[in-house]
Amino acid sequence: MLCIKESEINNFLEKLKENYEVFDVRNDLLPFKQYFLPPEEKIFEKKKNKIKAALKPAPFVLFGLSFYDLEALNQLDEIMEKPVEDYFYFQRRNQSIVIGLIEEDIDSLPGGEIVFQKINNDYYRVWFKSKKEQQWLKKYRKFFEEIKNLKITPQKSQKIDDWHVEMRQLLLDPEKLAKAVEWSENHPIWDELAKTCLGCGICTYLCPLCYCFSWEDKKTIEGESYRVRKWAACTLNDFAMVAGGHNFRKELKKRYYNWFYHKFVRGYYEWGKSLCVGCGRCHQNCPAQIDILKVLKTILSDYEKSLPAKNS
Amino acid sequence: MRNLYLPKIVKIKAVEEQSPTVKLFRLENKFPKDKNGMVFIPGQFFLIGEMGYGEAPFGALSSPYEKKYLEFAIRKAGNVTNYLHSLQAGDTLEIRGPYGNGFPIDFMKEKDVVLVTGGCGIPPIASLIEYIIVHREHFGNVYLLYGAKTPDELLLKDRIERWKKSINVILTIDKPAFNWQGPVGFVSDLIKEIKINELDAVAAMCGPGPMMDALEKILKPLGISDRRIFVNMERKMQCGIGKCQHCTCGKNYVCLNGPVFTYDEIENAHD
Repeated sequence: MLCIKESEINNFLEKLKENYEVFDVRNDLLPFKQYFLPPEEKIFEKKKNKIKAALKPAPFVLFGLSFYDLEALNQLDEIMEKPVEDYFYFQRRNQSIVIGLIEEDIDSLPGGEIVFQKINNDYYRVWFKSKKEQQWLKKYRKFFEEIKNLKITPQKSQKIDDWHVEMRQLLLDPEKLAKAVEWSENHPIWDELAKTCLGCGICTYLCPLCYCFSWEDKKTIEGESYRVRKWAACTLNDFAMVAGGHNFRKELKKRYYNWFYHKFVRGYYEWGKSLCVGCGRCHQNCPAQIDILKVLKTILSDYEKSLPAKNS
Repeated sequence: MRNLYLPKIVKIKAVEEQSPTVKLFRLENKFPKDKNGMVFIPGQFFLIGEMGYGEAPFGALSSPYEKKYLEFAIRKAGNVTNYLHSLQAGDTLEIRGPYGNGFPIDFMKEKDVVLVTGGCGIPPIASLIEYIIVHREHFGNVYLLYGAKTPDELLLKDRIERWKKSINVILTIDKPAFNWQGPVGFVSDLIKEIKINELDAVAAMCGPGPMMDALEKILKPLGISDRRIFVNMERKMQCGIGKCQHCTCGKNYVCLNGPVFTYDEIENAHD
């Protein structure tokens, strides 16, 4: 199997920097989506009545995505591809090589193009998506080793604690989550959360699978006009507001419920999966300390109690 | 890869004032016809705007068979429309589309049709009427019920006069006015004027709040079932292709699954 020694990873990345811009996401606060769907991106420019679309970036390597992020990337790729392709997302995505760095046990590639999977104290096993990536890796063969009968020691991931285990457990049954969240529309928990939630949108900005966006048009004093695509957050007040001031989701309660509704109901019916990978960013960074797992558990437990079979 | 966000730049052929706040724009058409000879399906919308000001969704009101131009009635309501109102014939603006599903025109054929609209909700209905007139022999009794706050706010008056030769038109206003002899409000009395076979009739609606009144007081008592009432919905729109999430409505995207929904689809949706 193709492996890379832990001590060689940095040398490999240094070598890559000769040909690519290399971004190491391991210490990023914002999730990897920022490289494909930037927080703010100039997409069109108009000069002398001619519209020019933004050009594609130079080829780049995104290194260090976690298992959760790779899964999220896989889902985001699908969302941006169907039913029609998002031009600006793929303009960036097609220029990228994504390399994951994981400790979890896998039997196939969770997402991205290449994955380094830690298998013992010294070595990472190298997974790749297709022949194309295999060929590409050959250019850097001096950093890799083909090893037979390598000792595999199960790795205890540092990123996984009880919270993640429990959250992942819930995500295994997206159908139940969809039914429960849909059922919960009139549950008192949304009133409570509307009082706790600051409506700041941090959860959506940090979620690797929140991809709402808005246009923002600008005009310079020199007469240039441009259109910017910006991250939007469905919890913000103006998200569903139309010209003239009518707001289709005026109350924070409705907007907050809609966040859950998209992740677990609409998203599930659209893609067959919840739009959540259980990374925990929303709950770790919420200024009001709202815990998505706690919310889901409350809803699920009350939903189950409401089922006729449980009552009889 | 096609860039679906890239608008086409088109010339404004003519502008006509319709009411103190609404202007009618006739735009050069750069979109192809489909295999049925239509540039769009009545009820579909286009995103119109200008780089530097923004885009907003508008339902086309001209005949879908018209290949030379597209027409839109635009009410001054915000940044984009304020800018559009400053434009004149000969200027250019940007447009992309058509988006959404449109009215189920094939399903509506061979049936009686009740069209209900108010104020600036008339454009998609107007284009549907143009379609019906082209295929007049394939439709039963057709009624347009069109309401506005004041007589001045009834749009497309000259077209309405032309439509009257082919379909039945009932105009109403919200409050009595000295220059108005017609009915006031969407009142249940109007039912008496509508002769349809309720088992073989459809309704199409588009417009602001009072439309719900029309639904309760007219369409329901007429006996048209919820599944045959087609409502053209409005939501905030940005991308137009089902990505940005602004226009979602329960499980649906107004830009993809709509803007035309059956009434029973929207009645139970949570938002």
